Amino acid sequence: MTTFLILLAILLTGLAAASLIVRKRRIRARVAAEDALKHIFHCDSSGTPCTLNSLAGALSCPIDVAAEIAKTLGEQNLVAVRGSELALTSEGREYALKVIRVHRLWERHLADETMVGELEWHKEAEEKEHTLSHEEAESLSKRLGHPVYDPHGDPIPSPSGRLPGEPGKNLEAFREGETVRVVHVEDEPGNVYKDLVDAGLYPGLDVTIRERTDRGVVLEHEGRATFLPGVTAGNLRVERSTAPVKTGPRKTLASLKPGEMAVVTGISPACRGLQRRRLMDLGVVPGTRIAAELRSATGDPTAYRIRGATIALRREHAELVYVD
Amino acid sequence: MNPLNRDERLVRHGLDASSADVVIALAGNPNVGKSTVFNTLTGLKQHTGNWPGKTVVRAEGSYSFNRRKYKVVDLPGTYSLLSASADEEIARDFILFGRPDVTVVVVDATRLERNMNLVLQVLEITEKVVVALNLMDEARRHGITVDDRSLMRELGVPVVPLVARTGEGVPALLQRIEEVATGSYECRPRRVWTESPKLRKAVDRVVERLKRAFPTLPNARWVALRLLEGDQRIAEAVRTGELGRIASLEGTAVMRKAKEDARVVA
Amino acid sequence: MSSREEILKTAENLRWELGERFHDLTVEALYAEASRIARKTVSAAGTRPGFDFERALDRLVTGKWTGFPIMFALLGIVFWITIEGANVPSSFLASVLIDSLHPLLKETGSSFGFPWWLNGFLFDGMYLAVAWVVSVMLPPMAIFFPLFTIAEDFGYLPRVAFNLDALFRRAGAHGKQALTMAMGYGCNAAAIISTRIIDSPRERLIAILTNNFSLCNGRWPTQILMATIFIGALAPPLLSSAVSALAVVTVVVIGVAMTFIVSWGLSKTILKGQASFFSLELPPYRPPRIWQTVYTSVIDRTLIVLWRAVVWALPSGAVIWLVSNIHVGNASIAEHAIASLDPIGLLVGLNGVILLAYIIAIPANEIVIPTILMLTALVTGMTGVGSGAGVMFELESEAATAEVLRAGGWTLLTGINLMLFSLLHNPCSTTLYTIYKETGSAKWTTLSALLPLSIAFVVCFLVTQLWGLLF
Repeated sequence: MTTFLILLAILLTGLAAASLIVRKRRIRARVAAEDALKHIFHCDSSGTPCTLNSLAGALSCPIDVAAEIAKTLGEQNLVAVRGSELALTSEGREYALKVIRVHRLWERHLADETMVGELEWHKEAEEKEHTLSHEEAESLSKRLGHPVYDPHGDPIPSPSGRLPGEPGKNLEAFREGETVRVVHVEDEPGNVYKDLVDAGLYPGLDVTIRERTDRGVVLEHEGRATFLPGVTAGNLRVERSTAPVKTGPRKTLASLKPGEMAVVTGISPACRGLQRRRLMDLGVVPGTRIAAELRSATGDPTAYRIRGATIALRREHAELVYVD
Repeated sequence: MNPLNRDERLVRHGLDASSADVVIALAGNPNVGKSTVFNTLTGLKQHTGNWPGKTVVRAEGSYSFNRRKYKVVDLPGTYSLLSASADEEIARDFILFGRPDVTVVVVDATRLERNMNLVLQVLEITEKVVVALNLMDEARRHGITVDDRSLMRELGVPVVPLVARTGEGVPALLQRIEEVATGSYECRPRRVWTESPKLRKAVDRVVERLKRAFPTLPNARWVALRLLEGDQRIAEAVRTGELGRIASLEGTAVMRKAKEDARVVA
Repeated sequence: MSSREEILKTAENLRWELGERFHDLTVEALYAEASRIARKTVSAAGTRPGFDFERALDRLVTGKWTGFPIMFALLGIVFWITIEGANVPSSFLASVLIDSLHPLLKETGSSFGFPWWLNGFLFDGMYLAVAWVVSVMLPPMAIFFPLFTIAEDFGYLPRVAFNLDALFRRAGAHGKQALTMAMGYGCNAAAIISTRIIDSPRERLIAILTNNFSLCNGRWPTQILMATIFIGALAPPLLSSAVSALAVVTVVVIGVAMTFIVSWGLSKTILKGQASFFSLELPPYRPPRIWQTVYTSVIDRTLIVLWRAVVWALPSGAVIWLVSNIHVGNASIAEHAIASLDPIGLLVGLNGVILLAYIIAIPANEIVIPTILMLTALVTGMTGVGSGAGVMFELESEAATAEVLRAGGWTLLTGINLMLFSLLHNPCSTTLYTIYKETGSAKWTTLSALLPLSIAFVVCFLVTQLWGLLF
């Protein structure tokens, strides 16, 4: 009897393991196929030809594997082969847009609703784009208030599969002394993106072009000047800013001592999503007069008088509110 | 003594909200005494804590005034109807799709500026609004005076000063609710507009198309703003035509009933 | 394309053009208008009164040196009134419901010709469990909740959250958790409902999952009994009550420490990385309306929770009676269960009786000690205590209780471990049901039961092993 039970247990464990392996392999195949569709889509929209070679490079796999993938996609009527070039069929394009939508929604979610750092966004979304179901993606989109841009400034395809062109222009298009607003910070390659993040640049930020040389460009924002080499600056897209030019470090709400009063000039673009909405719902918008009233017995949070109500905010949030 | 008890025109029905003639939605910021207003009207005893956000579930009650039966729906307290929190969605959906005959917005007279945000948003959605200026006693205690007549002119809807705890001002509130419900007071709500020309142009383009599809839509601009914000609930209402049904209603429940009565008499 | 679809398409395309600033612009326009209207219609009296009572009070209750002493003093007063005030009605209810009504019901049952098992099942099982829960649970809750609600209505509680937020921030939690914790000392189930005041979902979950570490009203008697019998008895008679009080306070402090540790742990693991926004409104002070408060807090909080407890106590009383009276072979189910649970119990320094009592008395911690006493009498075959199998009882004197427990093989280690287990184990079923209602998730409810339970087992196991090494 006992022997029989042990044998049964081993058998069941074996079956479970086998099904896991099969599942894993199926997922891996799906990931490769979806990544391939994305690559062909990006080639399409940037106007560069997509070949088996470029596909193999994008998927970092041998060319015969890439060929196998292309063949399967062709059988599924997602990819059409024209000579040596690969192109998406309309079904393929729709599929690719869905994957991109999930990817960008997930990045938006990471930026707005989590404390995951910006350098991790892309990597996590690369995985999530293959596993999130359509329903999950739509309920996520709803919760986020149906965003139209990801945190890098890339437009999010609509559920019906529409996508506008890239926003903004290259920095080249603007002169020294002009103030521009960052609308897109390219997140690939990762090391260039890291330089841009380290320079404190993110979509929504106003920067002034201080100097332009052959080697690169000097930008000034929030009281600091940053030199960006040409390659790095090429990964920024900007548009003309209508905001008045501001130099010098920003004063924030957190600097007020009890009894002091100030007028809000803006909320940091780094304050996104839910946090931003909550703050604005409290009446923290440009022009609001805010007085610091009380410090808690432990020194943080501080209670502020905002539009007739006394509201306690933690220091980390008060630092996101610019005042004058 | 509670002056209400002497008002023989008011009969409270507590929870029994069946077969009401008029549906009232009670909206307001958290912690403005909205539940107290609800209790005063219906005779129920909902707990009212000195905490923001006490009313978590939707409560209903009813009363009769001048032989009409009013159903009162207490909506969750919210600061706004724009963000996507569950409470705000409940409140927003009821005001829009629940088609209340009157929406009473309870505001705190001592923090009028902050409360005005919600009032203005409600006015965007519906014009049948009565503003209850609650906590007048506290305002007096703090030396704050609110010019309710000029507020009424600014907003274009009735404003009633109120002390819900003691019942002061409640008869006037009942009266105003009746007037707005029956249409004898005509609301001309103020609607806010942004300075941004880019936004204006965008809204105009959507409004133009909305007007073509739903010619009688009373709050086209608000619907346009919601669509531009990507509100899928509203988009769904446009897609299915649900919005059209709201727009094509022949007035409020009271007016419908009055018409039916007239038909019976004739 | 239909005109309706065209509207949606137009809006969708415009959304990308308008970009992210759109929401901000809408809100800014609304507030600008709100400001303009307010300026036009509101006028504040030019001179503020020379002495602003509210501001002075705020300075006092949030002051660096005054804030915490005031808070502890008030909390102390509330607990003192609750404990002292509940004694009289509790013993009154016990004497009516348990001492008088229970025998009367059994007699009535017999006179109607009920068979012994029906009589036992109905009155010794179900009725007694409910009576016990009501008499122990009702009076403290009916005192504690109104007091708490008065402090809430006055506006003091938000100031407490304001003062304590820094501590909770470091544990990744919300300042308002201080209040739900305090509420938990009255009743965990009511405290779970009160977590609604925490508006951010992540912090609310933390508050729900850790509320159990606030020692509730039903567990205080267990702590005091164990401390008196096993720890107080070690000290010289003069000091014994002080020593046992100190032991109970230590348990409470361990509970507070566990709250912070587990909150921190949760925010670093399962609930990692969710961003949240903290804002806390400090409402103006308002004179509380005492009678209405008493009324509504009794209705809203006490009775709802009591009702849930009664609903759970009924089947539990039935189970308690059944397991002690149904025999399989030559022993009752309870005895079989105790025998098989004993090895596990002894491993964590408890015993089979305690584990079984915690399993079958899950609806309310109030009936754990009566169940333990009954089961101990059952397995040891003691005579002269209690009134038979399946009939819960308590004894007047602590010495007599100690005697029963020692006969059941209890030592100092058992006492200490029971105190720890009682503090750390899973919430009662009333609370679990409330958690399920509030979170709407079986996953979180399961976690809220298993997390404390495994902590309780691990802690008791470690204490037992350490004890073995030391003595």
